[in-house]
Amino acid sequence: MPIEPFLQRALSISVLLGPLCGLLGVFVTARRMSFFSDTIAHAALAGVGLGLWLGVPEPTIPMIVFSLAVALLILWLKEHTELLNDTIMALLLSGSVAFGMVVLSHLKGYRGELDRMLFGDIFSVGWRDVGVAFAVTLSVGGLLFWKLNDLALLTAHEDLAHVSGVGVTRLNRLFILVLTVTVALSIRLLGIVLVTSLVVIPPAAARNLARSLRQQVLLSLVFGFLGAAGGVYASFHFDLPGGPCITLVLVGLFLLSLPAARRGGLREAVPAGPPTKP
Amino acid sequence: MEIAFRQPKPVVVEVAGLHVRLGDAAVLRGVDLQIRQGGIVALIGPNGSGKTTLLRCLLGLQKYERGSIRLLGESPDSGVLRRVGYVPQRLQPDRSFILTVREFLALRRPSTRDWFWRSTRHVDSLLADAVADLDVARLLDRPLAGLSGGQLQRVLICASLLNDPELLLLDEPTAGVDTPGEKDFYELIAAVHGRRNLTVVLVSHDLSMVYRHASRVYALNGVVCCEGAPEEVMNAESLKQAYGIHVTPYHHHHGHAH
Repeated sequence: MPIEPFLQRALSISVLLGPLCGLLGVFVTARRMSFFSDTIAHAALAGVGLGLWLGVPEPTIPMIVFSLAVALLILWLKEHTELLNDTIMALLLSGSVAFGMVVLSHLKGYRGELDRMLFGDIFSVGWRDVGVAFAVTLSVGGLLFWKLNDLALLTAHEDLAHVSGVGVTRLNRLFILVLTVTVALSIRLLGIVLVTSLVVIPPAAARNLARSLRQQVLLSLVFGFLGAAGGVYASFHFDLPGGPCITLVLVGLFLLSLPAARRGGLREAVPAGPPTKP
Repeated sequence: MEIAFRQPKPVVVEVAGLHVRLGDAAVLRGVDLQIRQGGIVALIGPNGSGKTTLLRCLLGLQKYERGSIRLLGESPDSGVLRRVGYVPQRLQPDRSFILTVREFLALRRPSTRDWFWRSTRHVDSLLADAVADLDVARLLDRPLAGLSGGQLQRVLICASLLNDPELLLLDEPTAGVDTPGEKDFYELIAAVHGRRNLTVVLVSHDLSMVYRHASRVYALNGVVCCEGAPEEVMNAESLKQAYGIHVTPYHHHHGHAH
């Protein structure tokens, strides 16, 4: 049975961005940046609103620019105020959404655009979107594997990374840049409201099963793939909305991984060995 | 080469007129010190005396207002840190980050930087010498976040020695470790120091261990209050000067010679 072209495109983009989000998510979750990722996703709404208002034909560019601006603002507020991280992010998240909706409400036919942004519209992607996703997956994925050691050391101890010769500030900025670009592209699949699930759930399920960083990375890639592809297929097969299907498949995978978390890993006390002597 | 033999050992850490301000507080107010090659040097002082700040300056982690720092004859931002080992206070790794000891060591050693694509056996064979030295082989499969304080320190020291440093800097190494663990830690440092040709500089608050193991002590309180061999510096008078209160160092007695 030949696959419909729109389903081909939806499956192609999801098997590219699913694993990429999973890989990125390993470091997002370990570095406590899940809420950060959610905030820059919501900031994209304001970016799209502004882009449409200014007449920019391609919404992805203003989306990325505005999300990056919000990311930088978070860093600036963190450094220059006494406010806690989650306070800053909650402020910017709600502020961006409110701003985006006010701008969009001035545009004709904004309802459709708002729906597409909030909940995703995976079956409307074109081959050009697939091409962009392919290029981004290749370059961001390559970069993450190339910088894997530096990122792991940065996650374990920032000062130690600095002393070991890692350009800490540059790597932090680079990480925020690739996270913003990846999240902005993935909004096409899941929408602003649910996009964080593709970044957070695969590494969380992988963490339940893994006993090393390598295992977590590999499992997270697999879960990202299964969640995205499985969700798109379920959405087509049962005629349900795409984004929520991806998230539900991911949640299902997470639930399946839970019993393993109770058995293994850190939660089980490791019997003490004989005392070591110098 | 008798003349060379008589020359004093080269200076490995040189700090001159160092001023550091953290917020409104002038934490370091003109620190001068010269550490020569080879010993175990302790920086002591009360909380807030600037000993950790000084160490952070040496590592290029803290900007300073005025003064100069030379490590092994070079500026700390010149790449000289590649010849320096650093043992942080503790990692406090997030429990959700499942980096194992093997992975942590492998990613820091040039020969095993591609550990992700190699078999565990291959990585272990390349790490074997470093691991045996500090007896951490049985910890390789454990996540860093699941180690006890003492085990983590052993791993951190092992990691800091991977690039064969000439200078080892340790920050308040026994914070958060129980007393037997502390003793093990200092004995481990002394053993490592004995086996390798390196200079150890450690920030410490544990006066009795410093007394036992250090070859030279700097008492800090914004400036260097006094310096010298432990028995010179660690008398009640000079500690009073550094700590501002009366402190009696614990002089332990036991049957063997150091």
